[in-house]
Amino acid sequence: MAVGDLVLTGLMAVLLVGIIALLTRIENWRSYTPLAGGGTATGEDAAVLNREKPAGIIRWLTTVDHKDIGLLYGLYGIIAFAVGGIMAMLIRVQLIAPGGAILGANAYNSILTSHGITMLFLFGTPIIAAFANYFIPLLIGADDMAFPRINAIAFWLLPPAALLIWAGFFLAPVTENMIEPAQTAWTMYTPLSVEQANPGVDLMLLGLHLSGVAATMGAINFIATVFTERGEDVSWANLDIFSWTILTQSALILFAFPLLGSAIVMLLMDRNLQTTFFAVEGGGPLLWQHLFWFFGHPEVYILVLPPMGLVSLILPKFSGRKLFGFKFVVYSTLAIGVLSFGVWAHHMFSTGMDPRLRASFMAVSLAIAIPSAVKTFNWITTMWNGRLRLATPMLFCIGFVANFIIGGVTGVFLASIPVDLVLHDTYYVVGHFHYVVMGAIGFAVFAGIYYWFPVFTGRMYQRTLGKAHFWLSMIGTNLTFFAMLALGYLGMPRRYATYEFDGAIAPLAQVSTFHLLATVGAFILLVGQLIFVWNLLQSWLEGPKIEDGDPWNLERDGMLDKEWEWYDRKLETAITDGGEDEEQSALTDGGKPKSDD
Amino acid sequence: MEEQPGLSDQYRTASPWPVFVALGLVLSEIGVFIGLFPVAVFGLILFGGSIAGILTESGYVTRPWPTLVGVGVVLAIIAVGLAVAYVPTADITVANIGSGPVLTRLVAVAVAGVVMVAMGGVGSVMEQTKV
Ligand code: HEM
Ligand SMILES: [Cu+2]
Repeated sequence: MAVGDLVLTGLMAVLLVGIIALLTRIENWRSYTPLAGGGTATGEDAAVLNREKPAGIIRWLTTVDHKDIGLLYGLYGIIAFAVGGIMAMLIRVQLIAPGGAILGANAYNSILTSHGITMLFLFGTPIIAAFANYFIPLLIGADDMAFPRINAIAFWLLPPAALLIWAGFFLAPVTENMIEPAQTAWTMYTPLSVEQANPGVDLMLLGLHLSGVAATMGAINFIATVFTERGEDVSWANLDIFSWTILTQSALILFAFPLLGSAIVMLLMDRNLQTTFFAVEGGGPLLWQHLFWFFGHPEVYILVLPPMGLVSLILPKFSGRKLFGFKFVVYSTLAIGVLSFGVWAHHMFSTGMDPRLRASFMAVSLAIAIPSAVKTFNWITTMWNGRLRLATPMLFCIGFVANFIIGGVTGVFLASIPVDLVLHDTYYVVGHFHYVVMGAIGFAVFAGIYYWFPVFTGRMYQRTLGKAHFWLSMIGTNLTFFAMLALGYLGMPRRYATYEFDGAIAPLAQVSTFHLLATVGAFILLVGQLIFVWNLLQSWLEGPKIEDGDPWNLERDGMLDKEWEWYDRKLETAITDGGEDEEQSALTDGGKPKSDD
Repeated sequence: MEEQPGLSDQYRTASPWPVFVALGLVLSEIGVFIGLFPVAVFGLILFGGSIAGILTESGYVTRPWPTLVGVGVVLAIIAVGLAVAYVPTADITVANIGSGPVLTRLVAVAVAGVVMVAMGGVGSVMEQTKV
């Protein structure tokens, strides 16, 4: 212990010296800006603005520009998606054989836990923040976020959070398995999560706590931005749909994440300081479930509302029609936001809670399907008789709607108590939420990335690769997760490393077949995502340059949003001789634009 | 709102502090929760120092030192308060530091607080005596 302390103290001392050395260099780069003295603004001209950021890596470490931070979030999200995806592949390969193909039970549980947490907290929330950071200020005509520095702080909490969440994987080999990855599943149910002595669980909980702090800071920032930083011509009446969903999401985060943070602190104290919040003699293990799901259900809407906003924004652009029933989409968003706090116990129907309470949660859960359906019908109606252009962003939007219908309808089934009692903790649940998280949220994220790729990079992606990405994702998703729905009906329980059960319990042959199908689907998905990453990288480096601020030809339908106008201004200031472009841009995706009319 | 310093209309698009605020918070949490004394002390100091730095830089305060002292005092009070409330008085001895799970952590927080007060005080005096 003493040696360890000494080493740690030394390490901290080195860190201190390093930081001071770094900070003293600030004097040098402070000259980039005349405002270093702390905010007495003097007249600034564009020339100064351009030199506002230091160069190289320091620029990215010190940036408080919302667009840079958006890109950082995006990079972070994509890396997390890759890590979570590799974990998913390990899970799927393991399950091709009833006895488990590659992993031991502990390794399986570790990977299962990390997969869930990585995808929800390190991919889902940050990738949404990426879009929100980049585009909310542009869409509402603000210069930046309300609190640019807090924005940067919120981002920089995330990389350490990821390292902590994954810490067990790095530390297990060097500590001879003294510190292992957590095996609690993402729901961290007590008493299991209290009794696992492994310090890796503490590290994971701390990482989760930090990611929650980051999300909360971000949410406060978005609320402040949308309320106070709107441009003169942006009122509540003409606020765009994406900003509405981010505003609602931020409110949900504000109520949900601090609660998760507190519950995690209580869990940490139960683990380390002998408190009894979740012990039988204290609050009881069920208390954890209530606290967790009071956060957890809103969390799923935190994840799905902004993607719904993305689809509501992008889908009309390729339908040649304004979003049908805009107002009702906004009302539905708000309704979902409110209702989502009243349904949490539908995750606990089988815990033996009071049946009368259970019925009320069932009622609200069924009710929440209504605003979700309103949105779905509005998307479909927007496309109805529209002039559809099947560009890659549009394909992903349509895929979103299709998958969300299956994800949502299976959710309604689960919300019904008698059905849930049969299907709870089976692969049916896994299928349900993956239709939403992968099939819908993932697809909306892809749609957003393709739609705004020109803004991010100044270049166009490769269309054929984009379409290949879509079709592989669509087929892979439906194969994998439909097989899971079937597995659930067959009675296959979730979260098991092996499934060599007695034929009297479930038909093993069929179960193996569907597991195999799910794995095949996962490989198709994997190929699609490899193409996606390749397309991103190669097109970023050498894709065709964008010449005007309307690569999707939105002007024609009067649907050119503010972010494209901003982009056009940026292009024009960059290329001084940028003349008027042709009516039909050669870069429009989806074949010859003329045939569309 | 418009006049508030640190807001976007001033177009400052770089600051060294956010990374350190984040790092400070991370190390504080790890140090305090896992019970790593040096990490806790250092993390809290880094956190308090960066808060003072970022507030000064963005113009919310004119000098960093009072903030540093303030954060230090708050931390010390919290630590002492928790110690009085939750640790039996008889157990609060120098010899016991390092044994109880709660006491050691509180001492780390208190030490960080005291160091910050000292740093803030010294900084303030040095600044005022500088010609
Ligand atoms: C149409 C509205 C929805 C309804 C009525 C609904 C209903 C349910 C119910 C009743 C369960 C519990 C199943 C069980 O454990 O026995 C469940 C699980 C789940 N749902 Fe939904 N859901 C809906 C939409 C969504 C959305 C939009 C998402 C994601 C963004 C989502 C993500 C999840 C997740 C992650 C779980 C599994 C949690 C776990 O046990 O690990 N659901 N859903
Ligand atoms: Cu739910």
